[in-house]
Amino acid sequence: MRSVPPAGTGPEDAIRLVTEVCERAANGDLEARVPALGDTAGAPELRVAVNGLLDHIDAFVRESGAASTAAAEGRFHRHFLTQGLDGAYRTAAEQITHANQVMSRTAAQFADAARARQALADELESAVLTASEQVATAATEMGRSANGLADFARSAVTDAERGLGTVSSLRTSSEEIRHAVDLINQVAAQTRLLALNATIEAARAGSAGRGFSVVASEVKNLANETSSSSEEIMNQVNTVQQSAADAIAVLEAVTNRIREMSDLVDGIAVAVDGGHRSGDGGLSRLAEVLRSEVSRFVTTIRQS
Amino acid sequence: MRATEVRPTGVERTFGEDELIVTKTDPRGVITYTNDVFLRVSALTEEQAVGRPHSLIRHPDMPRAVFQLLWDTLGRRQEIFAYVLNLAVDGAHYWVFAHITPSFDRTGRLLGYHSNRRRPAAAAVQTVGSVYARMLDEERRRSRTPDAVAAGTAVLEQILGEHGRTYDELVWDITDGSAR
Repeated sequence: MRSVPPAGTGPEDAIRLVTEVCERAANGDLEARVPALGDTAGAPELRVAVNGLLDHIDAFVRESGAASTAAAEGRFHRHFLTQGLDGAYRTAAEQITHANQVMSRTAAQFADAARARQALADELESAVLTASEQVATAATEMGRSANGLADFARSAVTDAERGLGTVSSLRTSSEEIRHAVDLINQVAAQTRLLALNATIEAARAGSAGRGFSVVASEVKNLANETSSSSEEIMNQVNTVQQSAADAIAVLEAVTNRIREMSDLVDGIAVAVDGGHRSGDGGLSRLAEVLRSEVSRFVTTIRQS
Repeated sequence: MRATEVRPTGVERTFGEDELIVTKTDPRGVITYTNDVFLRVSALTEEQAVGRPHSLIRHPDMPRAVFQLLWDTLGRRQEIFAYVLNLAVDGAHYWVFAHITPSFDRTGRLLGYHSNRRRPAAAAVQTVGSVYARMLDEERRRSRTPDAVAAGTAVLEQILGEHGRTYDELVWDITDGSAR
């Protein structure tokens, strides 16, 4: 764009030149400026006025574009330079400045929120990590305890079963004693009958049988004593049998309780270690799943 | 009439608070358009300015590193703000707060550069003046131009490092801090 006017620039040329520049500027070509228009009255002033107008439009367009770009890129220190712009230019510039300030505040709030989110993610991760470690430790402890309890219950059941066997054999033995005592009682009754017959025969023999009568009487006494002893033994045996029955009932009750307890302990072990049947794993596995899920969540949060 | 031929008189010239000094250059820095304020403040006629390189009004007290930064930034197709001390051809000097932007056509091709210059605040000029003095001091110890530019750049980077700011941020700190 040469500013030296072509020779002989007249009013018509001046009007044409200004018109061309105005048309270019209207089409967005802000590089266009009015060249020298010659010396026609008012022409230099017209040129300065039109170029001044274009300079101000140019300055406004450059400032608004650059200030908005800077704000969009987060360079909020670069604001709209209003110096040299007046009236509607300045009003619009102030509006853009205000919009940029709002964007700046929003960006700052967003940055604060992002920082808070990061801190929260850090805290969550640390808390979940600690919790899952504790759960894993507790699960291991519980698993060990449950296994110990199960072992204990099994040996208790075995012991109780052995006790049951002992008491049952005691009952069998007392039954045999009763049979033996019955036998003794029968022998005593027959002995008593024999003694009675001997006494009668001794009386019939008179004085010759007197000595024998004394013996028969002693035999009868022995038979009587045997009977009364047998009765005592029977009473003792009955007591033993009753006690054995009671002991059996108690031992059976204890065994059943221990078996129930054993089932409960097995349930705990399954919950802690994860059963073979259930696919979802035990407490330790769940803690691990929770930790990895939270880790994935926290990673996503940090990237967003 | 080359810039090196003009002797600074030490006379300071200012222009209106609401005035804009406007020039346009081609991609090589040759002036293609000036407004009337530029001609008045630089004591030039349009015929003397148009077609001449913009270094026409370069003042010897301006650090070379500033112009290097300016051209590097424009070379990246970015705008730049800079406080510049200019030398009018009558020997007077004037400070400007320059905003230089590349101009592109619709296809993105570089058409040239556009410079809007505003009157800087006295406080800003004082701050910038002391920075430039430090840069200039180092530059003048070097005889070769590339060495001088490197030395001036090192001083500027040291100052930016001391403030923990980028060049852009420091310029705006100075501008906002001295806003009238």
